[in-house]
Amino acid sequence: MIATTEPSAVSGARLRILAVAVFVIAATLIVQVLRLQIFDPVVPASAHGGIPRIVPIEAPRGLITDRNGTVLARNTPTYRVALVPGDLPKDEQPRRDALLRIAQSLRIAYSELEQAATTGLAIVDPFAPVTLRKGLTNDDAIMLRAALAGVPGTRVDIAPTRLYESTGALAHILGYVGRLPSEEAEARVRDGYTLDSRIGLAGVETQYESALRGGPGRRLVLSDPQGRELQTLGEDPPTPGSSVVLSIDMRLQRAAEVALARGIDRGLTILRPSSQPRAKPLPAGAAVVLDVHTGEVLSMVSQPSFDANVFERGTDGAVSALFTDPARPMIDRAYMEVHAPGSIFKPLVALAALQEGIVTPSTRIWSGGSLTVRSQYDPNTVYVFGDWAVHGNVDMNRAIARSSDVYFYELAGGFWEGGKETFKGLGADRLATWARHAGFGRPTGIDLPGEAAGIVPDSDWKRRVIGDEWLLGDTYTFGIGQGYLTTSLLQMATLAAGIANRGEVPVPRIVRGFEQGGVFTPTPSRIGARIPVSPESLAVVRGGMASAAADIDGTATTGVPRGVKIGGKTGTAEFGVPYPDGVFDTHGWFISFAPVENPQIAVAVYLEYGVGQTHAGPVAKEILEAYFAQPPVQPSASQVAR
Amino acid sequence: MIAIRPRASIVPDVLLLLAACLLATGSLLIARAIAMEELHRSISPDLVRQALYLLVGLLALAVTSRIDYRLLRTFAPHVFVLGIVGLLLVFVLGSHEYGARRWIQLGGGVSVQPSEFAKIAVTFAGAAFAAGRDASGRGATMLLGLFGAMAAVIVLQPDLGTAIVFGLAWLAVAATWGVSWRYLGGLALLGLSMFPLALAVAIPDYQRERLAVFLDPARDPLGSGFTLRQVEVAFSAGGMTGRGFNGGPSALTGVAPRSSDFAFAQLGEFGGALITVTVIMLFAVIAWRGYRAAAGAPDAFGRLLAVGLTTMIVLQASMHIAVNMRLFPATGIPLPFVSSGGSALVAVFTAIGIIESIAAHRSSRTPTSRYASK
Repeated sequence: MIATTEPSAVSGARLRILAVAVFVIAATLIVQVLRLQIFDPVVPASAHGGIPRIVPIEAPRGLITDRNGTVLARNTPTYRVALVPGDLPKDEQPRRDALLRIAQSLRIAYSELEQAATTGLAIVDPFAPVTLRKGLTNDDAIMLRAALAGVPGTRVDIAPTRLYESTGALAHILGYVGRLPSEEAEARVRDGYTLDSRIGLAGVETQYESALRGGPGRRLVLSDPQGRELQTLGEDPPTPGSSVVLSIDMRLQRAAEVALARGIDRGLTILRPSSQPRAKPLPAGAAVVLDVHTGEVLSMVSQPSFDANVFERGTDGAVSALFTDPARPMIDRAYMEVHAPGSIFKPLVALAALQEGIVTPSTRIWSGGSLTVRSQYDPNTVYVFGDWAVHGNVDMNRAIARSSDVYFYELAGGFWEGGKETFKGLGADRLATWARHAGFGRPTGIDLPGEAAGIVPDSDWKRRVIGDEWLLGDTYTFGIGQGYLTTSLLQMATLAAGIANRGEVPVPRIVRGFEQGGVFTPTPSRIGARIPVSPESLAVVRGGMASAAADIDGTATTGVPRGVKIGGKTGTAEFGVPYPDGVFDTHGWFISFAPVENPQIAVAVYLEYGVGQTHAGPVAKEILEAYFAQPPVQPSASQVAR
Repeated sequence: MIAIRPRASIVPDVLLLLAACLLATGSLLIARAIAMEELHRSISPDLVRQALYLLVGLLALAVTSRIDYRLLRTFAPHVFVLGIVGLLLVFVLGSHEYGARRWIQLGGGVSVQPSEFAKIAVTFAGAAFAAGRDASGRGATMLLGLFGAMAAVIVLQPDLGTAIVFGLAWLAVAATWGVSWRYLGGLALLGLSMFPLALAVAIPDYQRERLAVFLDPARDPLGSGFTLRQVEVAFSAGGMTGRGFNGGPSALTGVAPRSSDFAFAQLGEFGGALITVTVIMLFAVIAWRGYRAAAGAPDAFGRLLAVGLTTMIVLQASMHIAVNMRLFPATGIPLPFVSSGGSALVAVFTAIGIIESIAAHRSSRTPTSRYASK
């Protein structure tokens, strides 16, 4: 269609108006751009040739406190000397002179300095300062400032460093901060870290890095071509990191530390002189206190420990010594390591057997001190599975109270006569399923890095991993928490909590919440596993653990604090190489919940060397007494509401 | 006075030349980005992708400039529906980036931004609708409804900047169509009176915050005031000749979320006033050539289509530049041809192709152009 003449004339005029409008807009834009760039620049003309660049501002790192607000990790100023590679002279000779002078003043090898000035990241961001000397006092700083006056490329400034309190008891939990690990440095720099940033490398410091770090700010500065800052043009202030509030009660933590140290010492008395050369014993142990309902870790101690302040204030030698120490002080024995739990596993076997109808609470099993099994291949071969004592005819309550091995052998593996299973046991695969129901074989989910999972063995596992058939004997030892089964102390603590908490196994958590600007945000408590048991079965097993602690001949009486009734279970697990007479060294274990009628806390103790009843029990007793002498504050209503 | 008069000339080639100049400018920015990337020792797949988009764009240009645009008129309703569907699809399949839902990921790092193609679709439909009717108030209102429907979906993404471009493109098409000044003026007054209400109700918090920062840069809730400061410093550091495109520190470092929203400021810092003024003039010339093609169009459809498309391109450029220079509240909008962005590149080349096709079918009906189809 060809347009009629009249609208065409109108649109011709309108088009001209549009063109004029565009012309006016373009003119306005040109005027503005000339104003911004030439006639009225925000950076004064005298500064032309100046180089604008962005300098990051690190936010003050959040504090770490215990549940009562006691500060456990704080920032304190120390001075440092830093090299700014981009500020060094560009020409070869002046650059050498500057580096030499720095090397002399700081008494650092020239080669080391050269290396610091040319790292890969120094090329990416040449203006990011590289720390040369740290942890300096005010006097050192003044002296070095004078010595380095006029030397380009150096800077003496205040560097906030982390100071940890009571590190012996807390080092594993708090962790430490340090330089970016080189393997992740590039990725981190892209995330807004600088070459010189410090980052959490272990424990809560790394687990809650983003909350503690806060949001870095930026400054827009103008620098001369040599890289010296001339002027600040703008600032985007950082957002300080949140304070992380631990569930730990520092008073209980200290009590647990003392009790554990005593327990480890006493446990070492099981070591016997031996004519044969044996591996040097490395004393170790751990203790955990959980709130059975919320999973809050009220206390968690591990020995040997270390001083986390070494990382920011100590020498490089002291740091590397930590990593090479055969005692492995950086390993938290409570959750990073797994061992055979021994008899403290029995309450779970009891629950499984009750629920699967293997036994009733009143079923009695005769323990004459050992269980004898004839080999299914060769009738002349007889295997003997020993008990630690003759218990006679025991029902479940007595079996738990006395920790009868024969009783639990038969619950797991049954009783065999003439190749027939005359008393049907759970069998290894069914027991393994129950162990997984309770959360074994996988991490508990505690909010700390490096948790061990442990192993729940079954016939399939043995075929795959060991390459062998599962034997009846494997089932028997599984029934008393030995053999291939491995668990961490923390897992055993959650089992005790689960038994005390209607079969609901809480996920342990070390952090109760965050505090930012006076506002407390709690972290949620979660249930990690639900043991599918009836309240009646639970009551029977809890009764057994109560009897273990209360009966005159109960095995767990050594763990009972004054004035409070508890449920307890001891464990003594053989490990390592036997002495010539066939006796093994043992790990000492203890799990408990208290008070028995209305449980609040679960306490679990592990001693690398020791006997559950004799050595681990008293550690739990001391911790429980400390707890009931002054229970920790519960979350106040106002804090929860917020 | 700018003469807008049909004259036998090589209009299409001038347009292409302008586009090529702007593309070259954009590639300087990409080259600088690569120079920085090399320092990070990683090869950027962005370059490969951008080259691929350019290829698709040139293909679209070749096709659309050779097709007689009048043949496409019958498809206008389909194009419109397709445009709306594309925009709605974003809400279903779209990916969230930088707080907005604008993209549909196709895999392999390739994504499509339907709002870029919606610009063409709505202009096409609008021109087809208006060409057969008188420019009555009723017709203008219906045309507004057409543009408004599309713009409303885009506002929800949210992409206020593009929606404003839609509104102004409608104004240009309606004015060229011959809608009375009284109607247009009345609508403008209505719009102004609605502004406080819109500010209170319809404009999302972040936009209001941006407006507040625009009016008072010291107010800095999310660091946007700092960004404004960075942009000012970038322009002044660029001076007349710029600081060069060969890497090194920049005042605009970390000027997130999308550096393509600050392409003009980058040009200012690295290329100086020489480049920035040239870019503005290049867009002015594109406007002039586009409006000339409209004036010479053989029919109302072609005229309105050329006006709409030209206005879309030029207004988007003006807004990008104005936002970068703090003449307009911050809103993320890329600079046509220069900012990296695949859909934008393909769409703008398609638009240029259509304008060329219109220019090739001049009302004198003398097939002077080599693109003439008959």
